Amino acid sequence: MIFQILKEAWISISAYKMRSFLTMLGIVIGVAAVVMMVAAGQTVQNEITKTFDSMGTNLIIIAPAQTVSGGVRGGRGKPTASFDDVESLRSLPDVETASYVVVTAAQAVFGNNNYGVQIFGTTPEYLKVGNWEIETGIPFTEKDVKAGKPYVLIGQTVVDELFGLQNPIGKTLRLKGKPFTVIGVLKEKGDNLMGDDQDNIVMMPVTTVRQRLKGSNRPQYADIAFVKVTQEDKMETVSRRIEYQLRARHHLKEGTENDFSLHLMTDMVEKVRQIGFILSMLLAAIASISLVVGSIGIMNMMLVSVTERTREIGTRKALGAPNRWIMVQFLAEAILISFIGSFVGMILGVVLSQVAGRLYDYDVPISIWSVVISASVAIIVGIISGALPARKAMRLDPIEALRYQ
Amino acid sequence: MSPTVIEVKDICKTYFMAGGTSQSVLKHVNFTIHSGEFVAIMGHSGSGKSTLMNILGCLDRPTSGEYLLEGQNVANLSDADMAKIRGKRIGFVFQNFNLLMKRTLADNVSLPLIYQNVSASARREKAFQLLEHVGLKGYEDRLPTQISGGMQQRVAIARSLVNDPAIIFADEPTGNLDTRTSNEIMDLFTDLNKQGITIVLVTHEEDIADYAKRLIMIVDGQIQYDGLRGEYKP
Repeated sequence: MIFQILKEAWISISAYKMRSFLTMLGIVIGVAAVVMMVAAGQTVQNEITKTFDSMGTNLIIIAPAQTVSGGVRGGRGKPTASFDDVESLRSLPDVETASYVVVTAAQAVFGNNNYGVQIFGTTPEYLKVGNWEIETGIPFTEKDVKAGKPYVLIGQTVVDELFGLQNPIGKTLRLKGKPFTVIGVLKEKGDNLMGDDQDNIVMMPVTTVRQRLKGSNRPQYADIAFVKVTQEDKMETVSRRIEYQLRARHHLKEGTENDFSLHLMTDMVEKVRQIGFILSMLLAAIASISLVVGSIGIMNMMLVSVTERTREIGTRKALGAPNRWIMVQFLAEAILISFIGSFVGMILGVVLSQVAGRLYDYDVPISIWSVVISASVAIIVGIISGALPARKAMRLDPIEALRYQ
Repeated sequence: MSPTVIEVKDICKTYFMAGGTSQSVLKHVNFTIHSGEFVAIMGHSGSGKSTLMNILGCLDRPTSGEYLLEGQNVANLSDADMAKIRGKRIGFVFQNFNLLMKRTLADNVSLPLIYQNVSASARREKAFQLLEHVGLKGYEDRLPTQISGGMQQRVAIARSLVNDPAIIFADEPTGNLDTRTSNEIMDLFTDLNKQGITIVLVTHEEDIADYAKRLIMIVDGQIQYDGLRGEYKP
């Protein structure tokens, strides 16, 4: 019986091809828009996740505390984690490794080229902490750190800007007039979330930075430190252990505030992901307005159809069609239109979002959501927009309907 | 005497209108129709013959009285039960044919069987058989728009026969046809009647009523004459 009803519905729809096509178009556009918006949202989320993965997600960042004077919170205070503080954290349980960075910037010069670069003075451990890999060459070692060797690892941007097509390994570049030997090139990472170029970097032993580029009255203190945790679910525990350890080492009395601040990368990831999720829901919600318009289109067409086919309905009833059958028949027509519309819309949405992804060089996921959305749209929109016309058809009095001209 | 198909006992139909007024359209109508009869119901417009037809066709209910179709009282059935009776025991032929314009002739003929859950192949077979019976062999897959009015009415007659009904109601079946075609259609009805099919014909045309053996004349909602067509004197 269901097959019979669907067949009847199909014959009725195909009898008015242009009208049915235009009505379907509303749903096609609506579903395609929703599918594309969801894909866009997911792409944003994926890109965010990818960026975080490039930095490593199991990170705890130790930064200076905010300064407080007279109850007014100011900017970041002086660096408060010493190199030894950070080294001591490596032995804590569930800590994979820890490292620290002294940050500065300078104009790098090679031959006739120069470029403003960011400089990280750090330890060999930092490569592991920051998920950096060596593309060519070798990393510097603990020994190099101890000796303050002028060895540098450079990012892809620095290679492009200074060396062009030359092999930079073994070449000497100058920072603040001092020579440094390139021993390795870092693998490309791309921009971070703020849009900063992560590959515009020169990495060298922390001792070298302190001696040659950035002196300090507290030379044994880091600007920022990183602790890499073995597992994501240990982040909170390790964070508390770090706090305890640093307070003890800084001889902070009970009731005083921390002179450092801890930031969990997982929290940041979560926050940004939430923003991404809200964004994609918002986009989908806006796109679904077109679905509402589309379903009004179906309802409108079905109401016209019921009026036009009043005599047909009367005939069918006179020939023994139960009211239920008439109702289901019109409902089936609405559902069939919205079903075909959502199917085509789903395909169109997926194809267009893939094309856009290729064009702008993003990996756009084909998500199960597009199927779920279009299937539920097909049924919900069909039922909602078909219910009223179907009811109207069902309630027609056969005598009146047969007399209708 | 052949078995009784229709027994109408004291049927009244009154329409109640807003403002408390009412109008009696049928007043205490009584008659019986036996299997194999060919009856013409005549009357002027407004005489109540259409209302009577709707009640006999189970499209409407009488205000009072009993209507037995093949012995079953169908005067007060629910909508769903009336639809069932129409689908199984009654055939309709309308003035304006009422074919579905977007369906083939075979689909039109077999339409009532859809509601009886008859399989597609059985429906098609029956439709072919009946189209041949009314002289439309070879036209099975044409559309109604491709054939003449007379042929369309033949299709409608085939459709009225598809459920092997107890009785066929033909409501002004020649109203939209020219004289020659009208006579052909009436000849077809006569043939069917000779094969034992019970036919009730509603008309206001004297010469169409001549095809029937029995005449029921309705005037102002009452039976004025009920007897042999040939013996009626106005």
